[in-house]
Amino acid sequence: MRREIDLSLLFAMAMMICFGVTMIYSAASDSDAWRSQALFAVFAVMASVAILYVPGKLFYDLAYPLYIVGLLSLIAVLVWGTGTPARWLSIGSVQLQPSEFAKIATIMAIARFLGDQSSERVSAARAVGIAVLLAALPMSLVAKQPDLGTAVSFGAALVPMLYWAGMRPLHIFFLTAPLLSVVFSFEELWGSDQAPIVFALFIILSSFIIQLLLARLWVTVTLLAVNLSAGLVTTYLWANFLRAYQKARIMTFLDPERDALGSGWNIIQSKIAIGSGGPTGKGFLQGTQTNYEFLPASHTDFIFSVIGEELGFVGAVFVLSLFLFMIWRSLYIGTIANNRFSSLLAVGLASMLAFHVFVNVGMTIGVMPVTGLPLPFLSYGGSSLLTNCLAIGLLLHIYAHRHEY
Amino acid sequence: MDPEVLEDWARKMRGLMILAGLLFAILLLRLFHLQITTGDDYTKESDDNIFTRKRLKAPRGLVLDRDGEVLARNRAAYSIMLTHGSAESDSQAIAALEEATGVSVHLGKRGRGQKRLRLKRDVAFPRTVAIVEERLRHEWPLDIEIEPQRLYPQGPLAAHIIGYMGEKQDELTSAHRRPYVAGDYVGQTGLERVYEDSLRGWDGVNYVEVDVRDRVINEHPLPDQEIPPQPGRDLRLTVDLDIQRAASRALPDSLAGSVVAIDARDGSVLALVSYPSFDPNAFVSYGSQAERQQLIQDPAKPMLNRAIQGSYPPGSTLKMIGAVAALENGITDTLSTFAACAGSLQVGDVVFRCFNRDGHGELNLLEAMEMSCNIYFNHLAQILGIETWHEYGARFGFGAETQIDLDPSELTGVLPDRQYHKEREGWVTGHLMNLVIGQGYMLVTPMQMALYVAALGNGGFLVTPHLQGEAAPPVRIEGVSDATLDIVRRSMYRVIYGDHGTGKRARVAGIEMAGKSGTAQGPRADDDAWFVAFAPYENPEIAVAVVVEGGGGGGSTAAPVAQAVIKAYFDDQARKQSVATATDAESGS
Repeated sequence: MRREIDLSLLFAMAMMICFGVTMIYSAASDSDAWRSQALFAVFAVMASVAILYVPGKLFYDLAYPLYIVGLLSLIAVLVWGTGTPARWLSIGSVQLQPSEFAKIATIMAIARFLGDQSSERVSAARAVGIAVLLAALPMSLVAKQPDLGTAVSFGAALVPMLYWAGMRPLHIFFLTAPLLSVVFSFEELWGSDQAPIVFALFIILSSFIIQLLLARLWVTVTLLAVNLSAGLVTTYLWANFLRAYQKARIMTFLDPERDALGSGWNIIQSKIAIGSGGPTGKGFLQGTQTNYEFLPASHTDFIFSVIGEELGFVGAVFVLSLFLFMIWRSLYIGTIANNRFSSLLAVGLASMLAFHVFVNVGMTIGVMPVTGLPLPFLSYGGSSLLTNCLAIGLLLHIYAHRHEY
Repeated sequence: MDPEVLEDWARKMRGLMILAGLLFAILLLRLFHLQITTGDDYTKESDDNIFTRKRLKAPRGLVLDRDGEVLARNRAAYSIMLTHGSAESDSQAIAALEEATGVSVHLGKRGRGQKRLRLKRDVAFPRTVAIVEERLRHEWPLDIEIEPQRLYPQGPLAAHIIGYMGEKQDELTSAHRRPYVAGDYVGQTGLERVYEDSLRGWDGVNYVEVDVRDRVINEHPLPDQEIPPQPGRDLRLTVDLDIQRAASRALPDSLAGSVVAIDARDGSVLALVSYPSFDPNAFVSYGSQAERQQLIQDPAKPMLNRAIQGSYPPGSTLKMIGAVAALENGITDTLSTFAACAGSLQVGDVVFRCFNRDGHGELNLLEAMEMSCNIYFNHLAQILGIETWHEYGARFGFGAETQIDLDPSELTGVLPDRQYHKEREGWVTGHLMNLVIGQGYMLVTPMQMALYVAALGNGGFLVTPHLQGEAAPPVRIEGVSDATLDIVRRSMYRVIYGDHGTGKRARVAGIEMAGKSGTAQGPRADDDAWFVAFAPYENPEIAVAVVVEGGGGGGSTAAPVAQAVIKAYFDDQARKQSVATATDAESGS
């Protein structure tokens, strides 16, 4: 049997990794970070190619066991985790971030579960409930670390998968409407004067549209009740659920100048770095924000700011284009997969990639709050790199095995 | 292939790609806004991050005496600066600093964009060194800044000439070509204030390239934009510190007083002493608040410049005005006498007394001046008339400003006329009998007295006193003939050398001079002692006025001070002469 490799995706990944190592060199030229990243990359690419040779059904069979392992490793982090906040597991001299691998395991588990259902049954409350539960378990464990960004990414992968599996968009809207209620009723975001008006507008409009589309009063009333209660508990959530540093991050996202030298520093300096890059950038290794350390975490979370500063709008567009190509290619692989499990897996991985790129890049340019989400393939970090390469490996596997049955 | 599975995935992919496209469009629009639309603003912010603008304070001009001796110079003052960080790291660094060095600091609020905060100004050098060492060890976000600060090496010696400086509390940025910044020191009084604009110079600008911890990466990143500071212009004074010192030393320690010595030919101020004095260094060292407060509240008023702001009755030193007026109007001459002095004179209900209670007997003008007989001048006043006397007083500069280039502004004293008395208790001739002997409402400053005695000595020229620069041309006093001046000068000569002269104690060996003593009844319990003199007698070079508050007899208390000043002047001249001769001899051989 001939193994066909999706060269375009493999090439895009290799290009991205090489580019990442180069930018890490620029961001931390006086350290060995770029060298160890290059070393990670060799292993990670080898691993992704090795996946090609895994027998076709193995991932389907392993989905639930891996999911259990993922959950156990997340529990282990809560017990034995290192770092502040504790997100890593130390095994000998190797530091692992289990939440990275748990992402893939969770997507595999959801893909298997939803793949086993027929399209018609996906909209049933029980099926959706189980899928949500599959995402919610690792999500809450990660949120407990606490790592809000990664936690949310589980949900971000789930929703497109539900859609792909056959859940009706209207029902997805029902599922997500309470979350939108939270956002639209958030006082800190809209100001205490505006918040009630914005919230009221959202409630009236959404109820109106639902009533128009469905013309079923009880659905509209239910939605109204759920939305209202979600909005009303926002204040309670804000006061009792979020930790101080999480609140500070959100407040800072909304108004970085509030504490320009403290929590707002990262966003402000990142925007200065990217903005001052201009159309073509200050040149490779020439970024002053980067070299003079105004930009914090420049080789990890804020690697995109280095690209923006040194390579300008051109470099930023290049990176985003490459990401968009990878997302498009992943979704495409989803459409040509030979079974529901593989197809859903591809969509889940594509969604995860898209979410990470949007949240990380959004953070560096001030359209998203600061979270610890790395930029796939570019941010320094072995666990993240390996996870993303494994994801590409899985996609290559799906592509290579698309004709099998 | 399972057709049931295939049919709607392509459609769903389109849906998801539209969603992804929307999200990426948000990112791209935002990037376009940051990098293209507002890129220049961010470039400026990026430059602000790495280029720290530094104001290079111009060193202030030196103040030198006529021989080049330094009255005011600059020293290095060290400030401890907080360089970078947040409110939290700021307070940590400060706590550590305080504990390690024992220096207590005040933390101001860090404004937006303000990179550096001054924690403590003018820290002593050894302590600064200690802080630098500690900083290196702990990597505190601290830096030391050096700025020029005033130092007055002579201390209180010439404090009233130099004045002092004070810290500016508010910014003065607009509408001024050379803006002041809060914390700058500005001349408050004295020459520091009068010549502020030429002394301060022009501040320069420098940029350094720094990283986020304020570590300097490049000392001169923008050489084109650097402006070197232009030091202020030095101020060369007419004052001779040797004479200033002699005058200070000669004044009694326990009594307040003032000495003014000027060049009798052009009004150059040679010495200007006001005692008690103060140390102007107290106003330019950062921690001396208590000391300054004490100086300002001291009842002995050390801050008062008695030479131009002290108003005293001049007593008998004023008699030459009456003599000049009488001689010019034919009221008296060298031979004429009035009724004999019997120690007192009754006019109506009022009894005028001479200091010699037994009476001087019958005196002519020269004798009356030599012995300082009041009765002679009382008689003279009865004939003279207030208008004539006032006119001559005004011609010699009384009741008016001397125009000296010094701050705070001088007082004019009081030269009363008929109107002045009418506005008070009314006019009677008895008032002029008091005025002519320098009593009554008559008030003068020591500076006015120096000009007056210089004019008597130099042939009738009123000079303009000045502390630096070119002399304004002297003005010949109108209506005073050389013959009159000659008689008055002769009478003043007898004050020093006459058998009964009251000014014998002013004599300087080898120098002929003339002068007049005064013992004035003022507001104090004890009389103020006065002495005015010029020397040499022919072609006088120096004119001196001395007042000692509560010093009693002018001849006994003030004359020795005048003597010391005149002696110092001629010793100094002799020394310079010999140096000049030696130099000539050397260059000649």
